[in-house]
Amino acid sequence: MNAHTHDMKICLAMFEKLSEYIDNELDELTCRDIERHARECIRCHTCLETLKRTIDLCRKSGDRSVPETFSLRLKEVIQSLS
Amino acid sequence: MMTKNPKRRKKQDDDSKLIAAINSGQKHLFLDLVTRYQQRLYNFGLRMCRDTSDAEDLVQDTFLNVFKYLKNFRYETKFKNWLYRIASSVCIKKRRKSKFAPERELSLEEFIPREDAPAQTELPDWAAIPLDKLLNDELSDTIQDAIQSLPEKYRLVIVLRDIEEFSTEETAQILKISPANVKVRLHRARLFLKEKLQEYYGNERSYA
Repeated sequence: MNAHTHDMKICLAMFEKLSEYIDNELDELTCRDIERHARECIRCHTCLETLKRTIDLCRKSGDRSVPETFSLRLKEVIQSLS
Repeated sequence: MMTKNPKRRKKQDDDSKLIAAINSGQKHLFLDLVTRYQQRLYNFGLRMCRDTSDAEDLVQDTFLNVFKYLKNFRYETKFKNWLYRIASSVCIKKRRKSKFAPERELSLEEFIPREDAPAQTELPDWAAIPLDKLLNDELSDTIQDAIQSLPEKYRLVIVLRDIEEFSTEETAQILKISPANVKVRLHRARLFLKEKLQEYYGNERSYA
C-alpha cells in the first residue's frame, strides 16, 4: 500500500459508500473498485476496517436483563386488561 | 410496507399461531407474547431513552398499544416488525429534549477526514485485535453512551439496523421513510460512533 499516492476524489467517493459496501448493498463492479482501492490506499483500508469494527462492537454491546419488579408490574397491568 | 393491499401475501412465522389464538379469544396468551419480546424491547428502550424508567414506560406503552390493536394485525408483515413500528412510534411520541442528544442533522462533511491529516501506516489496535479480546463492561458503557448521544432519528436507524438486525427495507417500513434515507442515516450514525470510539481509544482524528 502506498500512503503517498492518495487521490482524495477516489477516497471520498469510497468514503460515501463504505456502509453500503459493508452491508453488501452495492453492485459487484463497485465492490471490486472499492476492494482494489482499499488494497492500494492504507488510509481508506484503515477507514473501512475501523468502520467494520465499530459495527461489530455495536452489535456485540451487551443486553441487560429486565428488572424483576418491572416484569411483575407489567404482568399485572396486562392481566388487568384480559 | 404494512399496506392494506389484500393481495399482499401473509407473513407466517412463530408468532402467527399465538396471535391467532389471542385474537380468537384466548386473551391470557397475550402474556406469552410479552414474555417473548419484553427483553428485546426493554433493551431497545434503554438504547433509545437512556434511563430505565423511560425504557420501562416504552415497553409498557408498546404492549398496551399492541394489546389494543392486535385484532387489526393482518400478517402483512412479520409481527416483530409491526411491534417495532409501534415501539418506534411510541418512542418518537415521547420525544424529549435531551441534553445528551439534541436533535440536529449530521452531515457527511463533518466526518470527512482532513486531507492534511497524518496517514496511519497500520490499523489501530482496537480494529486489529480479535473482537473478544476487546469487549468489556467499560467499552459496552462507552458504546451505549455514544449511541445515546446520537440525535434520535439517527439513533433509531442504527439501533434497528445494527442491533435489532432489521434489513434496510424493514427499517424503512418500520420508520415509514425511504430505504435511501435509512442508508444515509445509518452511514452517518456509524461514522459518528466510529469517531467516538477513536476518541475513546485516544486516536487523534485522522483518516482512520
